[in-house]
Amino acid sequence: MINISYNSFLVIDTMNLMANVLINVVIAFLLGSLLLGLHRKIMARIQLRPGPPVIQHLLHSLKFFFKETSFPKTASMPFYVSITCLYCAIWILAVIIGPVTYGTLLIIFAIYAVYKIVEHNAGSSSGSPYGKLSCVRAVFSAAAEIPLFAVLAIIFLQTGTINIGDIVTYQAVHGPLIFSIPLAALVFFILILSKSPYSPFSITKGKDIISGFETEHFGVLRGYMMLSESIAWYVLLWVFLTVFFGPLSINGYLIGMVSITAITALINATTPILNPNHSVMSQITLAIVGIGGSLLLMFIV
Amino acid sequence: MDITTLGGNILGTIPLGDIVIYLTPFHLFMFVVVLIFTALIAMSRTETQVEAEFGTLKESKVSVGLSEFKTRRFLAIVCGLATAGAMITGDLFNITLFIALIGIVNVGIVSAVKQVDVLDAAYQYGIIAMISSLPLFGGAAMILAATGTLSLFVLSGIAATPMMIFGAILLLIGIAGETGIAPFFATKAEMFRTPGSPFILIIHLSSLMVIIRAIEVLLIIVT
Repeated sequence: MINISYNSFLVIDTMNLMANVLINVVIAFLLGSLLLGLHRKIMARIQLRPGPPVIQHLLHSLKFFFKETSFPKTASMPFYVSITCLYCAIWILAVIIGPVTYGTLLIIFAIYAVYKIVEHNAGSSSGSPYGKLSCVRAVFSAAAEIPLFAVLAIIFLQTGTINIGDIVTYQAVHGPLIFSIPLAALVFFILILSKSPYSPFSITKGKDIISGFETEHFGVLRGYMMLSESIAWYVLLWVFLTVFFGPLSINGYLIGMVSITAITALINATTPILNPNHSVMSQITLAIVGIGGSLLLMFIV
Repeated sequence: MDITTLGGNILGTIPLGDIVIYLTPFHLFMFVVVLIFTALIAMSRTETQVEAEFGTLKESKVSVGLSEFKTRRFLAIVCGLATAGAMITGDLFNITLFIALIGIVNVGIVSAVKQVDVLDAAYQYGIIAMISSLPLFGGAAMILAATGTLSLFVLSGIAATPMMIFGAILLLIGIAGETGIAPFFATKAEMFRTPGSPFILIIHLSSLMVIIRAIEVLLIIVT
């Protein structure tokens, strides 16, 4: 009898977890798509264009799932196909580690690193020269973005934990981390900026190489990529807000996400894409200033 | 520093003498990801690079020959397994050995290519990797001298001393050089122009995965 009860609880717990994961992934996709649509709309209005509707990114993502899928003869199979599934899988896992379970930031960090690998391989596996250039740029940009993400070590040194739940608890007691380690927040914001569309740092998707690593993926594969992009944008914003602004209500998250999206759109609309060397060196410089400055501030205060 | 604070709850341990292999969600994720990629590398064929030629309507195709394919695939699988080992081991010396192996194999993966620019880059990266092996093993030796152990499980319970921090800094320099991250990335990026997408992927994958594991290891040592 005891065993049956225990099993029942286990089944209910598992089902609750599955439902929670499903709900959060759907929210991440829908909200991420709308935010990216808003990003595009704001950029257009700043550039005095009407721009597409806010739901355009969402419609595009769904549309690709119903379009014909074709595969280049030169592609590296099965990597060419599986890389899009991996792209989607890692960001769904990021939703589980982040908003669902409030797990460790190290896994989010690892997911980001795998994302750089996916960018790399999606570019190189097609055989297209544009994809290949994007692949080489992904290696360059990883050298800069990983130090940016490594600023999370500052959070660990400040709070003594790298678990998202514990960081939120720490902030509930000591106040938001944005006030105690502002340079670390700035560095993380640069990372978010580099992942926003048309960013000065988005060298892997620069228009000089068409769409970079996405150029040769069509149909369902492109649909998976756009779905992953939306979830990735949502997760990065969620991590930033949770880690630096402490416990927030749903309205707080919404206002924060819309604000950051608007700020990045403003920056991207008014700045050109940097060349790869300038982009990487700017990011590395910012990472060094951010990490060094944060350490100095921690020792002084 | 409590190991669970960094990687999440311990799912299991395998004690091998004073070396304790421990598994947290973080290690499990890293280990599984590397194995998935290694399996995909083992079964994938390579891409053919196609580029338009200037002045004519022809196109040039660059692909990987069969013997080169076999050699590079073997080395890529070895690199994948070494990376997987570095993700899951609980011993600092084993980590340094795996990282040194990754450095050697990475050079091997591109040394079979017959492209001058790529070979130049591989040569430069090889030199950096060789030089970096000194601080890499030196750092581990410093930590052993300071604490009497290289088990991360034991190190997590020892308070940091200046000698341990110095050893950790040496380790960081060694890992940065071996994996070719900033500021050494310029020596490595040109290697990625060669065809053979699955094989060059593992070069990038091993670097990033090792860096993330290194951050965990360094935090264990210095906190």
